[in-house]
Amino acid sequence: MKKGRRTRQGARNQQSSFERQRLAWQAHHRQTARDALHRLKQRPIGTAMTLMAIAVALVLPAALWLLLGSAQVLDRNLSDTAQLTVYMTPSASDVDASSLLERVRARDDVGSVTLVTPEQGLEQFQKTLGLGDALSGLDKNPLPAALIVKPVTQTPEAVSALSLALKQMPKVDEAQVDMQWLERLKQLSTLGQRVVLSFGALFALGVILIVGNTIRLSVENRREEIEVITLIGATHAFVRRPFLYSGAWLGLGGGIASLILLAAGMAWLSAPLTALAESYGGQWAVPSLGFEGSLFLLIVSTLLGWLGAFIAVGRHLSHMTPK
Amino acid sequence: MIAFEHVGKRYGGRFEALADVNFRLSRGEMVFLTGHSGAGKSSVLKLLTCLERPSRGRIVVAGHDLGRLGNAQIPFYRRQLGVVFQNHQLLFDRSVFENVALPLSIQGFTADEVARRVRAALDKVGLLHREKALPIELSGGEQQRIGIARAVVHKPALLLADEPTGNLDPQLSADIMRLFEDFNRIGTTVLIASHDLALIARLKHRVLRLREGRLVGDEGMGS
Repeated sequence: MKKGRRTRQGARNQQSSFERQRLAWQAHHRQTARDALHRLKQRPIGTAMTLMAIAVALVLPAALWLLLGSAQVLDRNLSDTAQLTVYMTPSASDVDASSLLERVRARDDVGSVTLVTPEQGLEQFQKTLGLGDALSGLDKNPLPAALIVKPVTQTPEAVSALSLALKQMPKVDEAQVDMQWLERLKQLSTLGQRVVLSFGALFALGVILIVGNTIRLSVENRREEIEVITLIGATHAFVRRPFLYSGAWLGLGGGIASLILLAAGMAWLSAPLTALAESYGGQWAVPSLGFEGSLFLLIVSTLLGWLGAFIAVGRHLSHMTPK
Repeated sequence: MIAFEHVGKRYGGRFEALADVNFRLSRGEMVFLTGHSGAGKSSVLKLLTCLERPSRGRIVVAGHDLGRLGNAQIPFYRRQLGVVFQNHQLLFDRSVFENVALPLSIQGFTADEVARRVRAALDKVGLLHREKALPIELSGGEQQRIGIARAVVHKPALLLADEPTGNLDPQLSADIMRLFEDFNRIGTTVLIASHDLALIARLKHRVLRLREGRLVGDEGMGS
Protein backbone atom coordinates (compact mmCIF):
# COMPACT_ATOMS: atom_id res chain seq x y z
CA MET A 1 0.00 0.00 0.00
CA LYS A 2 2.65 2.41 1.14
CA LYS A 3 5.00 1.26 -1.60
CA GLY A 4 2.31 1.66 -4.27
CA ARG A 5 1.72 5.25 -3.27
CA ARG A 6 5.41 6.01 -3.43
CA THR A 7 5.68 4.57 -6.95
CA ARG A 8 2.75 6.62 -8.16
CA GLN A 9 4.23 9.71 -6.67
CA GLY A 10 7.55 8.87 -8.31
CA ALA A 11 5.88 8.62 -11.69
CA ARG A 12 4.16 11.93 -11.17
CA ASN A 13 7.43 13.57 -10.18
CA GLN A 14 9.13 12.20 -13.26
CA GLN A 15 6.40 13.50 -15.54
CA SER A 16 6.40 16.91 -13.95
CA SER A 17 10.19 17.09 -14.15
CA PHE A 18 9.97 16.54 -17.92
CA GLU A 19 7.27 19.21 -18.07
CA ARG A 20 9.44 21.49 -15.93
CA GLN A 21 12.36 21.03 -18.29
CA ARG A 22 10.22 21.90 -21.30
CA LEU A 23 9.00 25.04 -19.55
CA ALA A 24 12.56 25.96 -18.57
CA TRP A 25 13.62 25.52 -22.18
CA GLN A 26 10.84 27.78 -23.44
CA ALA A 27 11.63 30.35 -20.77
CA HIS A 28 15.29 30.23 -21.82
CA HIS A 29 14.34 30.89 -25.45
CA ARG A 30 12.12 33.83 -24.50
CA GLN A 31 14.86 35.22 -22.28
CA THR A 32 17.49 34.81 -25.00
CA ALA A 33 15.25 36.50 -27.58
CA ARG A 34 14.59 39.41 -25.21
CA ASP A 35 18.29 39.74 -24.36
CA ALA A 36 19.24 39.77 -28.03
CA LEU A 37 16.71 42.54 -28.71
CA HIS A 38 17.93 44.46 -25.68
CA ARG A 39 21.55 44.26 -26.84
CA LEU A 40 20.57 45.63 -30.25
CA LYS A 41 18.75 48.53 -28.59
CA GLN A 42 21.83 49.31 -26.54
CA ARG A 43 23.72 50.19 -29.73
CA PRO A 44 21.02 52.22 -31.51
CA ILE A 45 23.23 53.82 -34.17
CA GLY A 46 25.05 50.67 -35.19
CA THR A 47 21.78 48.74 -35.24
CA ALA A 48 20.03 51.43 -37.27
CA MET A 49 22.83 51.42 -39.83
CA THR A 50 22.69 47.66 -40.16
CA LEU A 51 18.90 47.76 -40.52
CA MET A 52 19.11 50.42 -43.23
CA ALA A 53 21.75 48.43 -45.10
CA ILE A 54 19.48 45.37 -45.00
CA ALA A 55 16.46 47.47 -46.01
CA VAL A 56 18.26 48.92 -49.02
CA ALA A 57 19.39 45.47 -50.09
CA LEU A 58 15.81 44.20 -49.87
CA VAL A 59 14.06 47.20 -51.43
CA LEU A 60 15.79 46.98 -54.80
CA PRO A 61 14.68 43.46 -55.77
CA ALA A 62 11.25 43.98 -54.17
CA ALA A 63 10.65 47.21 -56.13
CA LEU A 64 11.77 45.54 -59.36
CA TRP A 65 9.41 42.70 -58.59
CA LEU A 66 6.48 45.09 -58.10
CA LEU A 67 7.19 47.02 -61.30
CA LEU A 68 7.52 43.76 -63.20
CA GLY A 69 4.19 42.66 -61.74
CA SER A 70 2.43 45.75 -63.05
CA ALA A 71 4.17 45.35 -66.41
CA GLN A 72 2.69 41.86 -66.57
CA VAL A 73 -0.79 43.19 -65.87
CA LEU A 74 -0.24 45.61 -68.73
CA ASP A 75 0.98 42.76 -70.92
CA ARG A 76 -2.15 40.73 -70.17
CA ASN A 77 -4.40 43.69 -71.00
CA LEU A 78 -2.62 44.15 -74.30
CA SER A 79 -2.81 40.47 -75.13
CA ASP A 80 -6.55 40.56 -74.58
CA THR A 81 -6.81 43.19 -77.28
CA ALA A 82 -5.02 41.05 -79.85
CA GLN A 83 -6.99 41.20 -83.08
CA LEU A 84 -6.62 40.49 -86.74
CA THR A 85 -7.59 42.70 -89.59
CA VAL A 86 -8.64 40.76 -92.70
CA TYR A 87 -8.51 42.87 -95.87
CA MET A 88 -10.54 41.66 -98.81
CA THR A 89 -9.44 42.02 -102.42
CA PRO A 90 -10.56 45.32 -104.06
CA SER A 91 -12.76 43.35 -106.44
CA ALA A 92 -14.85 41.83 -103.63
CA SER A 93 -18.54 42.83 -103.64
CA ASP A 94 -20.86 43.45 -100.72
CA VAL A 95 -22.25 39.96 -101.15
CA ASP A 96 -18.73 38.48 -100.98
CA ALA A 97 -18.13 40.47 -97.82
CA SER A 98 -21.25 39.26 -96.02
CA SER A 99 -20.67 35.61 -97.03
CA LEU A 100 -17.10 35.85 -95.71
CA LEU A 101 -18.45 37.41 -92.53
CA GLU A 102 -20.76 34.39 -92.02
CA ARG A 103 -18.00 31.89 -92.68
CA VAL A 104 -15.60 33.55 -90.29
CA ARG A 105 -18.23 33.93 -87.62
CA ALA A 106 -18.95 30.16 -87.82
CA ARG A 107 -15.37 29.28 -86.83
CA ASP A 108 -14.79 27.91 -83.29
CA ASP A 109 -11.60 29.84 -82.76
CA VAL A 110 -13.14 33.21 -83.51
CA GLY A 111 -14.61 35.21 -80.68
CA SER A 112 -16.21 38.07 -82.55
CA VAL A 113 -16.15 39.57 -86.04
CA THR A 114 -17.08 43.03 -87.24
CA LEU A 115 -17.43 44.01 -90.85
CA VAL A 116 -15.98 47.35 -91.89
CA THR A 117 -17.45 48.27 -95.29
CA PRO A 118 -15.35 50.42 -97.65
CA GLU A 119 -17.64 53.38 -96.83
CA GLN A 120 -17.17 52.97 -93.06
CA GLY A 121 -13.46 52.55 -93.60
CA LEU A 122 -13.27 55.77 -95.53
CA GLU A 123 -15.27 57.59 -92.88
CA GLN A 124 -12.92 56.40 -90.11
CA PHE A 125 -9.95 57.30 -92.24
CA GLN A 126 -11.25 60.81 -92.75
CA LYS A 127 -11.99 61.22 -89.06
CA THR A 128 -8.69 60.04 -87.76
CA LEU A 129 -6.56 61.83 -90.31
CA GLY A 130 -8.70 64.98 -90.63
CA LEU A 131 -8.35 64.82 -94.42
CA GLY A 132 -12.06 65.12 -95.12
CA ASP A 133 -11.86 67.47 -98.09
CA ALA A 134 -8.84 65.87 -99.70
CA LEU A 135 -10.48 62.45 -99.72
CA SER A 136 -13.89 63.64 -100.86
CA GLY A 137 -12.12 64.70 -104.03
CA LEU A 138 -11.55 61.08 -104.97
CA ASP A 139 -14.06 59.77 -107.42
CA LYS A 140 -13.72 56.18 -106.26
CA ASN A 141 -13.32 54.72 -102.77
CA PRO A 142 -9.86 53.06 -102.80
CA LEU A 143 -10.42 51.08 -99.61
CA PRO A 144 -11.36 47.37 -99.59
CA ALA A 145 -13.90 45.87 -97.18
CA ALA A 146 -12.27 44.55 -94.00
CA LEU A 147 -13.11 42.23 -91.09
CA ILE A 148 -11.96 42.88 -87.54
CA VAL A 149 -11.51 39.43 -85.97
CA LYS A 150 -10.99 38.76 -82.27
CA PRO A 151 -9.59 35.28 -81.60
CA VAL A 152 -10.87 33.16 -78.71
CA THR A 153 -7.38 32.11 -77.59
CA GLN A 154 -4.91 34.93 -77.20
CA THR A 155 -1.65 32.97 -77.37
CA PRO A 156 0.68 33.97 -80.21
CA GLU A 157 0.52 30.42 -81.61
CA ALA A 158 -3.28 30.37 -81.81
CA VAL A 159 -3.42 33.85 -83.30
CA SER A 160 -0.92 33.07 -86.06
CA ALA A 161 -2.69 29.78 -86.89
CA LEU A 162 -5.97 31.66 -87.25
CA SER A 163 -4.35 34.30 -89.40
CA LEU A 164 -3.00 31.59 -91.75
CA ALA A 165 -6.45 29.98 -92.04
CA LEU A 166 -8.16 33.31 -92.75
CA LYS A 167 -5.61 34.21 -95.43
CA GLN A 168 -6.54 31.08 -97.39
CA MET A 169 -10.21 32.00 -97.62
CA PRO A 170 -11.60 33.27 -101.00
CA LYS A 171 -11.45 36.97 -101.80
CA VAL A 172 -9.07 37.58 -98.89
CA ASP A 173 -6.05 39.67 -99.73
CA GLU A 174 -4.27 39.92 -96.37
CA ALA A 175 -4.76 38.98 -92.73
CA GLN A 176 -2.69 41.24 -90.55
CA VAL A 177 -1.66 40.82 -86.98
CA ASP A 178 1.26 42.44 -85.29
CA MET A 179 2.61 39.33 -83.59
CA GLN A 180 6.15 40.48 -83.27
CA TRP A 181 5.66 43.09 -80.60
CA LEU A 182 3.44 40.72 -78.60
CA GLU A 183 6.20 38.13 -78.63
CA ARG A 184 8.81 40.70 -77.81
CA LEU A 185 6.75 41.78 -74.83
CA LYS A 186 6.56 38.17 -73.67
CA GLN A 187 10.30 37.76 -74.01
CA LEU A 188 10.93 41.03 -72.23
CA SER A 189 8.71 39.87 -69.40
CA THR A 190 10.64 36.58 -69.10
CA LEU A 191 13.88 38.51 -69.17
CA GLY A 192 12.52 40.85 -66.48
CA GLN A 193 11.64 37.89 -64.27
CA ARG A 194 15.13 36.47 -64.57
CA VAL A 195 16.71 39.85 -63.86
CA VAL A 196 14.59 40.17 -60.73
CA LEU A 197 15.49 36.63 -59.65
CA SER A 198 19.22 37.14 -60.11
CA PHE A 199 19.10 40.52 -58.38
CA GLY A 200 17.09 38.89 -55.64
CA ALA A 201 19.70 36.16 -55.18
CA LEU A 202 22.55 38.70 -55.15
CA PHE A 203 20.88 40.96 -52.64
CA ALA A 204 19.90 37.99 -50.46
CA LEU A 205 23.60 37.16 -50.36
CA GLY A 206 24.15 40.81 -49.46
CA VAL A 207 21.78 40.54 -46.49
CA ILE A 208 23.57 37.39 -45.30
CA LEU A 209 26.92 39.20 -45.52
CA ILE A 210 25.65 42.34 -43.76
CA VAL A 211 24.16 40.36 -40.86
CA GLY A 212 27.13 37.98 -40.82
CA ASN A 213 29.56 40.85 -40.47
CA THR A 214 27.54 42.53 -37.70
CA ILE A 215 27.27 39.25 -35.80
CA ARG A 216 30.96 38.52 -36.32
CA LEU A 217 31.77 41.78 -34.55
CA SER A 218 29.46 41.01 -31.64
CA VAL A 219 31.00 37.53 -31.38
CA GLU A 220 34.40 39.23 -31.11
CA ASN A 221 33.03 41.52 -28.38
CA ARG A 222 31.70 38.58 -26.44
CA ARG A 223 34.65 36.27 -26.99
CA GLU A 224 35.44 35.99 -23.27
CA GLU A 225 31.85 35.21 -22.39
CA ILE A 226 31.79 32.51 -25.05
CA GLU A 227 34.96 30.98 -23.64
CA VAL A 228 33.61 30.98 -20.10
CA ILE A 229 30.23 29.46 -20.87
CA THR A 230 31.83 26.89 -23.17
CA LEU A 231 34.13 25.86 -20.34
CA ILE A 232 31.24 25.38 -17.94
CA GLY A 233 29.40 23.08 -20.30
CA ALA A 234 27.48 25.15 -22.83
CA THR A 235 26.75 23.26 -26.03
CA HIS A 236 27.41 24.88 -29.40
CA ALA A 237 23.66 25.34 -29.77
CA PHE A 238 23.54 27.28 -26.51
CA VAL A 239 26.46 29.51 -27.54
CA ARG A 240 24.91 30.10 -30.94
CA ARG A 241 21.38 30.84 -29.73
CA PRO A 242 21.70 34.51 -28.68
CA PHE A 243 23.48 35.34 -31.93
CA LEU A 244 20.86 33.54 -34.00
CA TYR A 245 18.17 35.59 -32.28
CA SER A 246 20.16 38.79 -32.94
CA GLY A 247 20.49 37.84 -36.60
CA ALA A 248 16.79 37.03 -36.88
CA TRP A 249 15.84 40.32 -35.19
CA LEU A 250 18.11 42.24 -37.56
CA GLY A 251 16.59 40.43 -40.54
CA LEU A 252 13.05 41.09 -39.33
CA GLY A 253 13.79 44.75 -38.55
CA GLY A 254 15.48 45.22 -41.93
CA GLY A 255 12.47 43.60 -43.59
CA ILE A 256 10.07 46.01 -41.85
CA ALA A 257 12.27 48.98 -42.78
CA SER A 258 12.31 47.80 -46.40
CA LEU A 259 8.49 47.56 -46.45
CA ILE A 260 8.29 51.17 -45.23
CA LEU A 261 10.82 52.33 -47.83
CA LEU A 262 8.96 50.44 -50.51
CA ALA A 263 5.58 51.91 -49.60
CA ALA A 264 7.05 55.42 -49.48
CA GLY A 265 8.78 54.95 -52.82
CA MET A 266 5.68 53.58 -54.51
CA ALA A 267 3.54 56.43 -53.15
CA TRP A 268 6.06 58.89 -54.54
CA LEU A 269 6.11 57.23 -57.97
CA SER A 270 2.39 56.54 -58.19
CA ALA A 271 1.25 60.02 -59.33
CA PRO A 272 3.53 60.31 -62.37
CA LEU A 273 3.08 56.64 -63.27
CA THR A 274 -0.71 56.88 -63.14
CA ALA A 275 -0.59 60.01 -65.27
CA LEU A 276 1.65 58.25 -67.75
CA ALA A 277 -0.66 55.23 -67.91
CA GLU A 278 -3.69 57.46 -68.41
CA SER A 279 -2.03 59.28 -71.28
CA TYR A 280 -1.85 55.90 -73.02
CA GLY A 281 -5.52 55.36 -72.24
CA GLY A 282 -4.66 52.63 -69.71
CA GLN A 283 -5.39 52.18 -66.07
CA TRP A 284 -2.68 51.59 -63.56
CA ALA A 285 -3.10 50.65 -59.96
CA VAL A 286 -0.25 51.49 -57.56
CA PRO A 287 1.41 48.11 -57.04
CA SER A 288 1.87 46.86 -53.50
CA LEU A 289 3.13 43.60 -52.06
CA GLY A 290 -0.14 42.99 -50.26
CA PHE A 291 -0.43 41.02 -47.03
CA GLU A 292 0.98 37.75 -48.36
CA GLY A 293 3.84 39.41 -50.20
CA SER A 294 4.80 41.48 -47.16
CA LEU A 295 4.66 38.41 -44.93
CA PHE A 296 6.82 36.52 -47.43
CA LEU A 297 9.37 39.33 -47.48
CA LEU A 298 9.51 39.41 -43.67
CA ILE A 299 9.91 35.64 -43.39
CA VAL A 300 12.65 35.61 -46.01
CA SER A 301 14.51 38.52 -44.42
CA THR A 302 14.27 36.94 -40.96
CA LEU A 303 15.60 33.63 -42.29
CA LEU A 304 18.43 35.40 -44.13
CA GLY A 305 19.42 37.19 -40.91
CA TRP A 306 19.34 33.92 -39.02
CA LEU A 307 21.46 32.25 -41.70
CA GLY A 308 24.01 35.09 -41.70
CA ALA A 309 24.35 34.77 -37.92
CA PHE A 310 24.63 30.98 -38.13
CA ILE A 311 27.51 31.22 -40.60
CA ALA A 312 29.30 33.92 -38.57
CA VAL A 313 29.10 32.04 -35.26
CA GLY A 314 29.85 28.72 -36.92
CA ARG A 315 33.16 30.08 -38.15
CA HIS A 316 34.06 31.08 -34.60
CA LEU A 317 32.92 27.80 -33.02
CA SER A 318 34.89 25.71 -35.47
CA HIS A 319 38.08 27.20 -33.96
CA MET A 320 37.04 26.09 -30.49
CA THR A 321 37.28 22.31 -30.76
CA PRO A 322 40.05 20.80 -28.58
CA LYS A 323 43.34 19.98 -30.27
CA MET B 1 38.13 9.92 -9.93
CA ILE B 2 41.09 11.01 -12.06
CA ALA B 3 43.64 8.71 -13.65
CA PHE B 4 46.61 9.94 -15.75
CA GLU B 5 48.37 7.06 -17.50
CA HIS B 6 51.63 7.86 -19.35
CA VAL B 7 50.19 11.17 -20.46
CA GLY B 8 52.23 13.32 -22.84
CA LYS B 9 51.36 16.59 -24.53
CA ARG B 10 53.33 18.22 -27.32
CA TYR B 11 52.65 21.56 -28.94
CA GLY B 12 53.50 22.02 -32.59
CA GLY B 13 55.29 18.67 -32.64
CA ARG B 14 58.37 20.03 -30.81
CA PHE B 15 57.71 21.60 -27.43
CA GLU B 16 56.94 18.94 -24.86
CA ALA B 17 54.69 20.37 -22.15
CA LEU B 18 54.03 17.07 -20.40
CA ALA B 19 55.99 13.81 -20.58
CA ASP B 20 54.88 10.48 -19.16
CA VAL B 21 52.76 11.83 -16.32
CA ASN B 22 51.13 9.22 -14.09
CA PHE B 23 48.90 9.82 -11.08
CA ARG B 24 45.57 8.87 -9.60
CA LEU B 25 43.09 10.83 -7.52
CA SER B 26 40.48 8.99 -5.48
CA ARG B 27 36.96 10.26 -4.99
CA GLY B 28 36.80 12.79 -2.14
CA GLU B 29 40.52 13.68 -2.19
CA MET B 30 41.89 17.21 -2.00
CA VAL B 31 45.16 17.61 -3.90
CA PHE B 32 47.47 20.49 -4.80
CA LEU B 33 49.34 20.63 -8.09
CA THR B 34 52.48 22.79 -7.91
CA GLY B 35 55.47 23.73 -9.98
CA HIS B 36 57.04 26.81 -11.56
CA SER B 37 55.21 28.50 -14.38
CA GLY B 38 55.79 26.44 -17.48
CA ALA B 39 56.13 23.23 -15.47
CA GLY B 40 52.90 21.91 -16.95
CA LYS B 41 50.20 22.84 -14.40
CA SER B 42 48.09 24.65 -17.00
CA SER B 43 48.47 21.79 -19.44
CA VAL B 44 47.13 19.34 -16.85
CA LEU B 45 44.09 21.57 -16.26
CA LYS B 46 43.50 22.12 -19.99
CA LEU B 47 43.56 18.37 -20.50
CA LEU B 48 41.17 17.81 -17.60
CA THR B 49 38.70 20.40 -18.94
CA CYS B 50 38.98 18.99 -22.48
CA LEU B 51 40.31 22.26 -23.85
CA GLU B 52 43.09 20.11 -25.24
CA ARG B 53 43.56 16.44 -25.96
CA PRO B 54 46.57 14.37 -24.87
CA SER B 55 49.22 13.57 -27.51
CA ARG B 56 50.01 10.31 -25.74
CA GLY B 57 48.63 8.17 -22.95
CA ARG B 58 45.19 7.99 -21.41
CA ILE B 59 43.19 10.26 -19.09
CA VAL B 60 40.13 8.85 -17.37
CA VAL B 61 37.87 11.14 -15.31
CA ALA B 62 34.77 9.75 -13.58
CA GLY B 63 34.73 6.89 -16.08
CA HIS B 64 35.18 9.05 -19.21
CA ASP B 65 38.23 8.43 -21.40
CA LEU B 66 38.92 12.04 -22.35
CA GLY B 67 40.97 11.18 -25.43
CA ARG B 68 37.96 9.40 -26.92
CA LEU B 69 35.25 11.81 -25.88
CA GLY B 70 33.46 13.10 -28.99
CA ASN B 71 33.19 16.85 -29.51
CA ALA B 72 29.43 16.69 -28.98
CA GLN B 73 29.87 14.97 -25.61
CA ILE B 74 32.39 17.46 -24.23
CA PRO B 75 29.79 19.97 -22.95
CA PHE B 76 28.03 17.24 -20.99
CA TYR B 77 31.34 16.04 -19.53
CA ARG B 78 32.21 19.61 -18.48
CA ARG B 79 28.92 19.92 -16.61
CA GLN B 80 30.27 17.37 -14.14
CA LEU B 81 33.17 19.71 -13.34
CA GLY B 82 33.39 22.93 -11.40
CA VAL B 83 36.14 25.25 -12.61
CA VAL B 84 37.61 28.20 -10.69
CA PHE B 85 39.86 30.50 -12.73
CA GLN B 86 42.76 32.65 -11.55
CA ASN B 87 41.10 35.84 -12.78
CA HIS B 88 37.67 34.45 -11.82
CA GLN B 89 36.30 35.12 -15.37
CA LEU B 90 33.07 36.74 -14.21
CA LEU B 91 30.86 38.40 -16.82
CA PHE B 92 30.89 42.08 -15.96
CA ASP B 93 27.67 42.97 -17.74
CA ARG B 94 25.62 40.72 -15.45
CA SER B 95 24.74 40.74 -11.79
CA VAL B 96 26.31 38.44 -9.21
CA PHE B 97 23.13 36.36 -9.23
CA GLU B 98 23.19 35.94 -13.03
CA ASN B 99 26.87 35.02 -12.99
CA VAL B 100 26.36 32.28 -10.44
CA ALA B 101 23.21 31.10 -12.25
CA LEU B 102 25.11 30.57 -15.52
CA PRO B 103 25.87 26.81 -15.18
CA LEU B 104 22.25 26.18 -14.17
CA SER B 105 20.73 28.10 -17.09
CA ILE B 106 23.03 26.22 -19.43
CA GLN B 107 21.72 22.96 -17.99
CA GLY B 108 18.08 24.00 -18.30
CA PHE B 109 16.99 24.38 -14.69
CA THR B 110 13.70 26.14 -13.98
CA ALA B 111 13.75 29.67 -12.60
CA ASP B 112 12.71 28.73 -9.06
CA GLU B 113 15.23 25.90 -8.91
CA VAL B 114 17.92 28.28 -10.18
CA ALA B 115 17.06 30.88 -7.54
CA ARG B 116 17.12 28.29 -4.75
CA ARG B 117 20.49 26.85 -5.72
CA VAL B 118 22.14 30.19 -6.49
CA ARG B 119 21.15 31.54 -3.07
CA ALA B 120 22.43 28.37 -1.38
CA ALA B 121 25.79 28.73 -3.18
CA LEU B 122 26.04 32.46 -2.43
CA ASP B 123 25.19 31.76 1.19
CA LYS B 124 27.98 29.20 1.37
CA VAL B 125 30.59 31.72 0.18
CA GLY B 126 29.10 34.38 2.48
CA LEU B 127 27.90 36.79 -0.20
CA LEU B 128 24.15 36.25 -0.22
CA HIS B 129 23.59 39.95 0.50
CA ARG B 130 25.44 40.96 -2.72
CA GLU B 131 23.34 38.99 -5.20
CA LYS B 132 22.09 42.12 -7.00
CA ALA B 133 25.52 43.77 -7.20
CA LEU B 134 27.58 43.92 -10.37
CA PRO B 135 30.94 42.13 -10.17
CA ILE B 136 32.78 45.44 -10.70
CA GLU B 137 31.41 46.69 -7.36
CA LEU B 138 33.07 43.82 -5.46
CA SER B 139 36.58 43.50 -4.07
CA GLY B 140 39.06 41.00 -5.55
CA GLY B 141 38.44 38.49 -2.75
CA GLU B 142 34.67 38.79 -3.16
CA GLN B 143 34.94 38.36 -6.93
CA GLN B 144 36.91 35.17 -6.40
CA ARG B 145 34.29 33.89 -3.96
CA ILE B 146 31.61 34.56 -6.60
CA GLY B 147 33.75 32.58 -9.05
CA ILE B 148 33.78 29.70 -6.55
CA ALA B 149 30.03 29.94 -5.99
CA ARG B 150 29.56 29.66 -9.76
CA ALA B 151 31.86 26.60 -9.85
CA VAL B 152 29.91 24.72 -7.16
CA VAL B 153 26.33 25.84 -7.81
CA HIS B 154 25.53 22.74 -9.86
CA LYS B 155 27.13 20.44 -7.24
CA PRO B 156 29.96 19.02 -9.37
CA ALA B 157 31.74 15.87 -8.26
CA LEU B 158 35.12 17.34 -9.24
CA LEU B 159 36.28 20.89 -8.52
CA LEU B 160 39.28 22.21 -10.47
CA ALA B 161 40.98 25.49 -9.57
CA ASP B 162 43.72 27.30 -11.48
CA GLU B 163 45.72 29.59 -9.16
CA PRO B 164 42.58 30.59 -7.26
CA THR B 165 44.59 32.79 -4.85
CA GLY B 166 46.95 34.23 -7.44
CA ASN B 167 46.00 37.87 -6.93
CA LEU B 168 44.94 37.81 -3.28
CA ASP B 169 46.75 38.73 -0.05
CA PRO B 170 47.65 35.90 2.42
CA GLN B 171 44.64 36.44 4.68
CA LEU B 172 42.13 36.30 1.80
CA SER B 173 44.03 33.36 0.28
CA ALA B 174 43.64 31.40 3.51
CA ASP B 175 39.89 32.17 3.53
CA ILE B 176 39.54 30.92 -0.02
CA MET B 177 41.43 27.71 0.78
CA ARG B 178 39.20 27.14 3.80
CA LEU B 179 36.23 27.38 1.45
CA PHE B 180 37.72 24.65 -0.76
CA GLU B 181 38.28 22.50 2.32
CA ASP B 182 34.60 22.94 3.23
CA PHE B 183 33.51 21.65 -0.15
CA ASN B 184 36.00 18.80 0.09
CA ARG B 185 34.56 17.85 3.48
CA ILE B 186 31.11 17.28 1.93
CA GLY B 187 32.57 14.86 -0.62
CA THR B 188 33.73 16.97 -3.55
CA THR B 189 37.05 15.93 -5.10
CA VAL B 190 39.26 19.04 -5.32
CA LEU B 191 42.35 19.65 -7.46
CA ILE B 192 44.04 23.04 -7.04
CA ALA B 193 46.92 24.24 -9.20
CA SER B 194 48.94 26.77 -7.19
CA HIS B 195 52.48 28.01 -6.71
CA ASP B 196 51.77 29.49 -3.29
CA LEU B 197 54.11 27.02 -1.58
CA ALA B 198 53.88 28.61 1.90
CA LEU B 199 50.12 28.32 1.93
CA ILE B 200 50.19 24.75 0.58
CA ALA B 201 52.70 23.72 3.25
CA ARG B 202 50.41 24.95 6.01
CA LEU B 203 47.45 22.98 4.70
CA LYS B 204 48.14 19.30 5.13
CA HIS B 205 47.04 17.85 1.82
CA ARG B 206 48.55 15.70 -0.86
CA VAL B 207 50.84 17.65 -3.23
CA LEU B 208 51.75 16.72 -6.82
CA ARG B 209 54.92 18.47 -7.96
CA LEU B 210 55.62 19.09 -11.65
CA ARG B 211 58.95 20.15 -13.16
CA GLU B 212 59.53 20.61 -16.88
CA GLY B 213 56.54 18.51 -17.76
CA ARG B 214 57.37 15.59 -15.49
CA LEU B 215 55.87 14.56 -12.19
CA VAL B 216 58.76 14.82 -9.72
CA GLY B 217 56.97 14.55 -6.41
CA ASP B 218 53.83 13.05 -4.88
CA GLU B 219 53.87 13.92 -1.20
CA GLY B 220 51.56 13.56 1.75
CA MET B 221 49.59 10.76 0.20
CA GLY B 222 47.02 9.36 2.57
CA SER B 223 47.82 11.90 5.27
